[in-house]
Amino acid sequence: MQTDKDFFKLMKESYSTEPRKAFVSDTEYILRKNAKRLNRKRTFKIVSITASSVLVFVISILWLFSFPETEQKSSLIGENSRDEPFIYIYHTHNQESFNSVTKTVDANGAFHPSTNITLVGEKLSQALNNKSIITLHEKRDVMKELGEKGLSYEESYAVSREFLQSTLEENPSIKMIFDIHRDSQPRDVTTATINGDDYAKISFIVSKTSERYIENLKFALAIHTLMEEEYPGLSRGVIEKSAAENQNTYNQDLRNESLLMEIGGVDNTLEEEYRAIDILADVIGKIIKKRE
Amino acid sequence: MLDNGNLENRIIEIYRSHYLDVYRFLICFTGSQNDAEDLTQEVFIRVLKNLPNYNEGNLKTWIFSIAKHVAIDHYRKKRFTQVFKDGFFKQIASTEKGPNELFEQNELKRTVQLAISTLKPDFRAVVILRGISELSIKETADVLDCSESKVKVDYHRAMKILKKKLHIDAEGGIGSAN
Repeated sequence: MQTDKDFFKLMKESYSTEPRKAFVSDTEYILRKNAKRLNRKRTFKIVSITASSVLVFVISILWLFSFPETEQKSSLIGENSRDEPFIYIYHTHNQESFNSVTKTVDANGAFHPSTNITLVGEKLSQALNNKSIITLHEKRDVMKELGEKGLSYEESYAVSREFLQSTLEENPSIKMIFDIHRDSQPRDVTTATINGDDYAKISFIVSKTSERYIENLKFALAIHTLMEEEYPGLSRGVIEKSAAENQNTYNQDLRNESLLMEIGGVDNTLEEEYRAIDILADVIGKIIKKRE
Repeated sequence: MLDNGNLENRIIEIYRSHYLDVYRFLICFTGSQNDAEDLTQEVFIRVLKNLPNYNEGNLKTWIFSIAKHVAIDHYRKKRFTQVFKDGFFKQIASTEKGPNELFEQNELKRTVQLAISTLKPDFRAVVILRGISELSIKETADVLDCSESKVKVDYHRAMKILKKKLHIDAEGGIGSAN
């Protein structure tokens, strides 16, 4: 290698110089969508300038003549914002199931098209909704999509990311994101006995590669600590996936409070999973309430 | 101001004709396809946002200057991984070359990637803009918002460092930059 030219030739050969085709078309789609939204915003701005002066006038009249009525209005607005989804729950490995369901003996066989980890996510979604925390639970099938697109299992995070991104676009109110899995560890690792009942243990996985690593870590630690205080032994702790090359971000780069959680393992029963979910929902509810 | 349909058509046209340039700049800068793709998207979203305020000038250098900002922001956020990479690079460089030619070839590419990733971001940008994106010295100066002579000096210094890292006789290549 004698000249700069040779060096750059080598440099060009060292990288994959074409992005993936799917990425190219996805980006085009995102740009179109954003362009449309920008246009809407701009039209809105013009309308809002004229509208706001009218609004100021109306509000001052209302305030002058009927004080209680305006008060009622503002409380209504407050309630409206509570109707928007706050938490998104999804499953990158959505067909992960349990040996007790699939009658298998190890994690390699424990997959099921319908009786799977999605039920656990659904349970969490319901438990949180009962606490007036609005959640969205992803029902689309990542594994089916992988099959249809002819992608490998490793690419499931790219597929679930598409679901995640489209959901976030349509629901900007979402602040917390949970990707719910079950571990492939054996029963003794993933089970806790509290007051005579067996519970699926929970671990919180944070990717160090994500740009929002620190924020995600803080959030994971907050849940772990509170859980440890109230139900000692249920949490397996926060596991940070180290910054090795090509370490997956687990899609934790889109919101500050994005976590991957392993609820129990392949040897747990759905009943044990649900027990753990009730506690998890309780802890998350408390964390959200503390902030209000 | 652009009218409604226009903005969408315009951004798609710009995207299609420039995404490869931007992507290639970013993959050399970050060394990771995932990062390069994410950042490419970020660049064009910023281009779109600023398009209504963009009046005249060289479109290409404007886009590259956005790409440079995005790349450097990314670098700052990820600086802690750099510590890891530095250590890794030293390890690789000191490994003896294997007998297999293919292996050596891959090893060389890997070493090139690691050498670039250890350059400080300003130097990295100059090298990539001149060598890979094939911008002129003036265009590079516009993108980096500095003088043409700074581009020349930084380029020479960066190439010298790179060659040192790759154990290449520095005298061979220097001087052919212009």
